[in-house]
Amino acid sequence: MSAEQAILQRWIERTLKSYPDGMAGFLGEERDPFRNPVGHTLRENLTTLLQELMGTMDQKRVAPALDALVRMRAVQNFSPAEAVRFVFGLRQAVFEVSGAVPDSLATRIDELALMAFDQYMSCREQIFELRAKEIRRRAQYAAFEEGEEP
Amino acid sequence: MSALYSLLAVLALVAAGLEGGRTGAGRDALTLIVPYAAFTIFLAGFCVRVLRWAWAPVPFHIPTTCGQQKSLPWIRQAKVDNPSSKWGVLARMAAEILLFRSLFRNNRARMAEKRLILGESKFLWLGALAFHWALLLILLRHLRLFIQPVPAWVNGLERLDGFLQIGAPQLYISDVILLAALAYLLYRRFRDPAVRYISLFTDYFALFLLLAIAVSGVLMRYFVRVDVLSVKQFALSLAAFRPVDLRALSPLFLAHLLLVCTLAAYLPFSKLMHMGGIFLSPTRNLANDSRRKRHINPWNYPVKKHTYAEWEEEFHDKLVAAGIPLEDEDAGKAHTD
Amino acid sequence: MQEKLIQIEQEPPRGDWRDPHVEFHKGAMCYSAAAKNLTYLGLPNPRTWQPTDSNWKLPPDWKKIILAGMKERLKKYRSFRLFMDICVRCGACADKCQFYLGSADPKNMPVARAELMRSIYRRYFTLTGRIFGSLAGGRELTEDVIKEWYSYYYQCTECRRCSVYCPYGIDTAEITMMGRELLTLIGCNINWVMEPVANCYRTGNHLGIQPHGFKDSIDFAANEASEITGLKIEAPINRKGAEVLFVMPSADYFATPHYYTLLGYLMLFHQIGLDYTVSAYASEGGNFGFFASHELMKRLNAKIYDEAKRLGVKWILGGECGHMWRVLHQYMDTMNGPADFLEVPVSPFTGTVFENARSTKMVHICEFTADLIHHGKLKLDPSRNDHWRVTYHDSCNPARGMGLLEEPRYILHQVSRRFHEMPENTIREQTFCCGSGAGLGTDENLEVRLRGGFPRANAVRYVKQKHGVNLLTCICAIDKATLPTLLEYWVPGVEVGGVHELVGNALVMTGEKERTTDLRGEPLASAALPASGEMEAVHA
Repeated sequence: MSAEQAILQRWIERTLKSYPDGMAGFLGEERDPFRNPVGHTLRENLTTLLQELMGTMDQKRVAPALDALVRMRAVQNFSPAEAVRFVFGLRQAVFEVSGAVPDSLATRIDELALMAFDQYMSCREQIFELRAKEIRRRAQYAAFEEGEEP
Repeated sequence: MSALYSLLAVLALVAAGLEGGRTGAGRDALTLIVPYAAFTIFLAGFCVRVLRWAWAPVPFHIPTTCGQQKSLPWIRQAKVDNPSSKWGVLARMAAEILLFRSLFRNNRARMAEKRLILGESKFLWLGALAFHWALLLILLRHLRLFIQPVPAWVNGLERLDGFLQIGAPQLYISDVILLAALAYLLYRRFRDPAVRYISLFTDYFALFLLLAIAVSGVLMRYFVRVDVLSVKQFALSLAAFRPVDLRALSPLFLAHLLLVCTLAAYLPFSKLMHMGGIFLSPTRNLANDSRRKRHINPWNYPVKKHTYAEWEEEFHDKLVAAGIPLEDEDAGKAHTD
Repeated sequence: MQEKLIQIEQEPPRGDWRDPHVEFHKGAMCYSAAAKNLTYLGLPNPRTWQPTDSNWKLPPDWKKIILAGMKERLKKYRSFRLFMDICVRCGACADKCQFYLGSADPKNMPVARAELMRSIYRRYFTLTGRIFGSLAGGRELTEDVIKEWYSYYYQCTECRRCSVYCPYGIDTAEITMMGRELLTLIGCNINWVMEPVANCYRTGNHLGIQPHGFKDSIDFAANEASEITGLKIEAPINRKGAEVLFVMPSADYFATPHYYTLLGYLMLFHQIGLDYTVSAYASEGGNFGFFASHELMKRLNAKIYDEAKRLGVKWILGGECGHMWRVLHQYMDTMNGPADFLEVPVSPFTGTVFENARSTKMVHICEFTADLIHHGKLKLDPSRNDHWRVTYHDSCNPARGMGLLEEPRYILHQVSRRFHEMPENTIREQTFCCGSGAGLGTDENLEVRLRGGFPRANAVRYVKQKHGVNLLTCICAIDKATLPTLLEYWVPGVEVGGVHELVGNALVMTGEKERTTDLRGEPLASAALPASGEMEAVHA
């Protein structure tokens, strides 16, 4: 196993640990993307992120991968810190495998964490907007009803 | 924790069986009282449980449909997965009971990420099927101990089971399959975190108990040979309700007997009752014909309704204003005039 | 040191499922039912409270009520007693629940959801449980258990996906229904179920729309259909002596995108000249009573037959709705039948006798339309739907409580030319729920819905990426109400529509003016489309 693969493996494992006990096995092992969408999303997008962090940081690939991860974790009962903590998990994974985290990578990880936080906020905002939209729609029925009262 | 407790419970039973035969009273208990008591509890308990289910009515027609319904004549119906006739239901139940159709549904092997998925679930189906069929075969083979002369079909089953013709005494495939399947089911319960999460004492206990029975049986047949003739003599005497106590019965046999009796007595109180319950499952044993034939609910009772008359009275003026026809047109006119 | 700290925080609590403690998060729970709704329906323990309160103001003898309620239901429902007894905890159902898949909360495994109830059953109703207690898998009934039930029985959409895979056919929907009935006995209901029930009981529909409002909406739709087609389309209300009573979910005439489906029905009925009426009294096909108790289901459902009898129709036609059809197909005749005052449904245009509805006398609109198309009674121009790349989401109840799988597909293949199925293990009887059914489709519960809908959205994203799908069709009012929000979050760019909306688009009507827009007012793509020879062979 190459060092990069080892790091990825550890990163995925660390991220899986944020899910309740008893879930990590299933999320980690079941490879059918439709039977295990959460595990699939984690694996696919952490892989992309690691490639980019080690490579050129192509925003066209980083942004959607980060979005998919954060979008999912934004609705899974995590606190904001827990939701984006997985980014820092990489630092530990690298440390465990290589013994040290190169400065350049550390900086990139920090940047990614900040991006993740932005993304988290925009997902939460979207959730509130969607809620507000539904409430508005409901209020319209109510207004209609009351407007018609004699 | 519950796994450990259940293992200890089964080991205690084994020890009781091995050691119990040393005293006269212990032998009496093991060879006389326990078998009859266990058999009585099994029969009575099993009947009570099944009757309790059977007596509970099926108020609503709730089959789970797993395929196309019978509707228009030119649309192909899934006659087994969504049966509309008695025969279809029979086929569905047969597939369910004999082949574990629903468990198999899990296991469509598929290509994903360029590799074939043969998930854990496939093994669950295979393990469960192998276990149940092997157990049935072994049970039937045991009939040779209770019936004299031995029926030809039992001999036939034995020949089939031993067709590999390895070793002396001949190796029965069912023994190997049973042990392997049990070991797998136990392994799965420990290994799969989701299943471990929901497993109770009774889940482990049943597995350990069955495993102990299988192991003691295999030991007696292949390794620590017992005197089969005296076992048969004992079994026949039990079956004839004239039990004899034979000195030749080994401690291992007594342990096997105690374990089997425990299983029989425990069965009516445990999840192992699923063997009876599957036949009564209303999501499987009903035809999907609830629009074609009226299903009767024996305890259907009248409920409080908001009747049309009450509704019309409440909204009378609005109905009139909107020009929606009323039940009694004249009454409506009277109101507006 | 710091490393260690992080490590500790990341470890989830190593809990046992038998610990009933739950926390209610805002955004991931349903609000309690308002007292006025329970009072109107004559249900027990109306009061002001919220799940986040520590004191739920249960009646003093709540424990006795729950246990007596369980005892009664164990006697009355074989399904309940059997499903309490025979589960072997094989775990085949575990990864089949969209709430478990989306939330990764192990108590959302169907088996665990059922164990929440089974543990109480074992403790109080079985010999081994009474003697051995927790060793036999029993639990004490405490207020925490009630809170846990409330949390988890309102995180189940009664979609029955698990029951497809269970070797004994154990149906979590049955267990959830029992759980909710028991909670109803002590007044622990959610408002999103009880308000629609109270509304429906009073006015005839969930939204509480009164007869004049109902007429306005129907007239409005008829006018719009007239404008689109240039024909004079009408929709009769409470008309005695019509041949057919048409019943639809109320959302069809009051919400979008349901509304376009209603336009589709009205245009279809006009074109074929169906002699029908809708009813303002039975103006709701859906039945939220189903999500609280069998009795409430029956109280609401009774209106349909009563109205059919009053109006003197021959048979009943039902619109696109999911749980509505579970109730109509599996419960209505038993509860409120026999419908001996109606006739066996016969299509007046094709002569087809709907044998499968011989007793209930109620036909699904997809069965009706598929039969029309099959007999060549409709002239269709599928190119009018060419701006849509369509997929079909099987709604849980018609799929698993009825088996209505091919009728809508047949219609879709006739009215559109670009149809793509989602992956095999996410459609037909294996379909994933929208995650908002059974009364969970409310805004305060949005995060639970987004999690529950994730597996479905995941499959939609797949066909969007692979085939450019931009319309998800379905035949369920709850799907139509909640999937737009869900897809906006997970798969932006995919719209939601009904099967009969596409029928309405494609239907070539006698004397109609040339159509330039679809029912949504969007321009048609037909002009810009390549010749039909270039069409992909997707209908194979």
